[in-house]
Amino acid sequence: MIKRLATGLGVLWAAATAAYLALLLAPGDTVDILVGDGPDTPEIRARIVAEWGLDRPEIVQYLSYLWRLLHGDLGRSYQLQRGVGEILAGQAGPTAQLTLAAAGAGILLAGIVAVGTAGRGRWWRGAASAAELVSVSVPPFLIGIVLLTVFSFTLGWFPVSGAEGVRALVLPALALGLPLAGVLGQVLRGGLERALEQPFAVTARARGLTERALVVRHALRHALIPAVTMAGWFIGTLLGGAVITEVLFGRPGLGQVATQAVSGRDLPVVMAVVLLSAVVYVAVSTLLDLAYRLIDPRIRG
Amino acid sequence: MRRLIAAALLLLPLAACGAQAAPGAAAASLVWAIETQPITLNPQQWAQNKVRLLVFNQFDALLSRAADGSFHPWLAKAWQVSADGRTYTLDLREDVTFHDGTRFDAAAVKANLDQFQVPGYNAAVAAIQLHAFDRAEVTGPYRLRITLKEPDALFLDFLASPYAGQVSPKSLKNAKDLKFGGPDLVGTGPFILDRYVQGQEIHYRRNPAYAWPPAGAAHQGPAHLAEITYRFLGEAAVRVGALTSGQVQVIEGVPATEVALIRKDPRLTLKTSLNSGTAYSYYFNTDHPPFDDRRVREAFRAAVDVDAVLKAVYQGTATRAWSIVGQKSPFYDASLEGSFGGDAAKANALLDAAGWTGRDAEGYRTKDGRRLTVREVASAPFVRDRRDVLSQAVQAQVKQRAGIDFQVRILDQGAAQKALDDGAYELFGNSRGDSDAGAALNLILPAGAAINRTHFKDPRVDRWLAAASATSDQAERKDLYVKAQRAAVRENAVVFPLYVPADQIAAHGSVQGLGFDPASGTPASAYDVRTGT
Repeated sequence: MIKRLATGLGVLWAAATAAYLALLLAPGDTVDILVGDGPDTPEIRARIVAEWGLDRPEIVQYLSYLWRLLHGDLGRSYQLQRGVGEILAGQAGPTAQLTLAAAGAGILLAGIVAVGTAGRGRWWRGAASAAELVSVSVPPFLIGIVLLTVFSFTLGWFPVSGAEGVRALVLPALALGLPLAGVLGQVLRGGLERALEQPFAVTARARGLTERALVVRHALRHALIPAVTMAGWFIGTLLGGAVITEVLFGRPGLGQVATQAVSGRDLPVVMAVVLLSAVVYVAVSTLLDLAYRLIDPRIRG
Repeated sequence: MRRLIAAALLLLPLAACGAQAAPGAAAASLVWAIETQPITLNPQQWAQNKVRLLVFNQFDALLSRAADGSFHPWLAKAWQVSADGRTYTLDLREDVTFHDGTRFDAAAVKANLDQFQVPGYNAAVAAIQLHAFDRAEVTGPYRLRITLKEPDALFLDFLASPYAGQVSPKSLKNAKDLKFGGPDLVGTGPFILDRYVQGQEIHYRRNPAYAWPPAGAAHQGPAHLAEITYRFLGEAAVRVGALTSGQVQVIEGVPATEVALIRKDPRLTLKTSLNSGTAYSYYFNTDHPPFDDRRVREAFRAAVDVDAVLKAVYQGTATRAWSIVGQKSPFYDASLEGSFGGDAAKANALLDAAGWTGRDAEGYRTKDGRRLTVREVASAPFVRDRRDVLSQAVQAQVKQRAGIDFQVRILDQGAAQKALDDGAYELFGNSRGDSDAGAALNLILPAGAAINRTHFKDPRVDRWLAAASATSDQAERKDLYVKAQRAAVRENAVVFPLYVPADQIAAHGSVQGLGFDPASGTPASAYDVRTGT
């Protein structure tokens, strides 16, 4: 457990440093960002440099950044002129809600479709497979626009924007969750079908187990490991998808904060978002390990 | 089934927005979808023209400005400028209170002006708009004397801008996030900001005590609406869908592709207004070849059929520009109309004369074995109005009609700034939303000015602009600015004006009183807005 924690901290430090270096090496400098599109005179530049301490050597700036980080101080946003911690605190909740709902929707849909179609006739499998392919390959932006046009603008079942209540969560969660369902469905069905050809399946059938019970009680467990690995990887990428979904649906969240920060080169915010994603990755991979042990007793030990 | 859907269509939009949308009823609240998220809600930190509509809900400025450039009372009921242009005496209204209950008086105005002198508060405003500011003195409870170090014609424009939005001195001291603003930064405006959710919405309720609208307002007393919510919907198609389905009653930022759809819908209204300030123009870098040669600059302009390009990109909704200064400004020089563009034969003759006579395998002109290449550098966060598509259209035209290789590079802000610093560009596009076009000219044209990215130098122009800044006689200023525009656009061809940026508002027919801020041409605050017929 201590080893895991140390690895986790190492990952976080590496992420923080990599983000710092990437932004340091990118062309242009921070003063340019702070000047923005506005008037640009030596006097303004001098004032900005002094205000943000940009005249100190880079190594000093880096170390003081790490030092503040250790104390939980994420710094101040260049663009928004507010504490980064405060900005993220207000936005992490809605994003967590969205990604969890999307993951839930994706896993549920994939499970239902895969269990329902595994080992079925050719037609069923073909249809499910085609639907999965479409949901994976169509960009979330387009899925979102189509969902909005049909279910919000035309049918009026769901509101276009906002983050209040469950109804406002349905469409964005679907837009974000459908690609996950597509990938997961394919993997899960493949796993199920391989399991159904194994000797234990033949034995079970011989004992008189129905096909449905066989799939749910026995094959599923075998098919889950690759699917969980896939799901873990995909949940890690949901933050990227959330960027588009949040802007499209006018939802608060880390996604739109991140896009704004990246295009405005808002260093402290970008770093904090990178760190947060690293935390999520570490957490998800830890949970995956636990999940493997639950699914397959042979891994316990 | 069909009937069911039809019924759903009729009922659900109403259900979706609850009590807010009951048409005809005394619905005193409104939902308005806007494109741009505010970077700050502190008027004195304001940097986005598109959020003027929010600023003036919550804050009032000292003066107001009409479309013809003249100034009128607001929180200052009268003002005098001394003969030498260095002393301004303001007489303030005596009946104004801030939302936190504190009194608005001369001491409050002084506190607001002095705030700009605090290091790190707003370096840019301190250095540009307030460069001439010396001191403010309270000479009576409601009387104030401001002394400038030198005459500055743009000082009145400052007093009428969001920067002069008056903030309660108490909240200047106590606000949690002073530079960001928010609910605890308090103004005197017709609405009180009571909720802000980043990425989602901003909500105001009416200030029941409000009785001090600017000159030119359509009514007196408190605002008509009891509350108003601005939703941030960055995607144009989503804004339009939200409007047509009745989930919001007003939107701004209507893309050219959706204009026809909204005009066709009898339930909706569409208003547009040209912005003040400068037109969107290409500025040529005269520092190095090929645009150090006036003939090549002129050839580039002549090679483009601007009308055809604008029609293709904006479907006939864009207004062609003829000068750096837009048509909306009182300083616009109409004599420049028709003076350039759309003459391929002239373009080719000019390029031949300038020595670009060779042709390479791809059909581009060459001189001494070098291709006639010009690069545009743009910073991605500031690319709007489909200006990337506009560049591509221009690119196709100059290639076909004159053999010019026009390369468009859209970069992140840091990389774009580096290219500009290094002079690694031949062309850059820019428009400014200043309510006084003179402010923009001062930044763009004089030798060594803050955004003189053309490296254009003309001592006459420097003199004219300095003289215009030193007088507050509007007619005299116009004469001087006209001379400067002619020198830059006609005589030296350092600029290629393309179109005048505009703002649009689309709304349900039941919403009345929507309009544009006369000084800027951007959507006005919600003070005069009401619902019902």
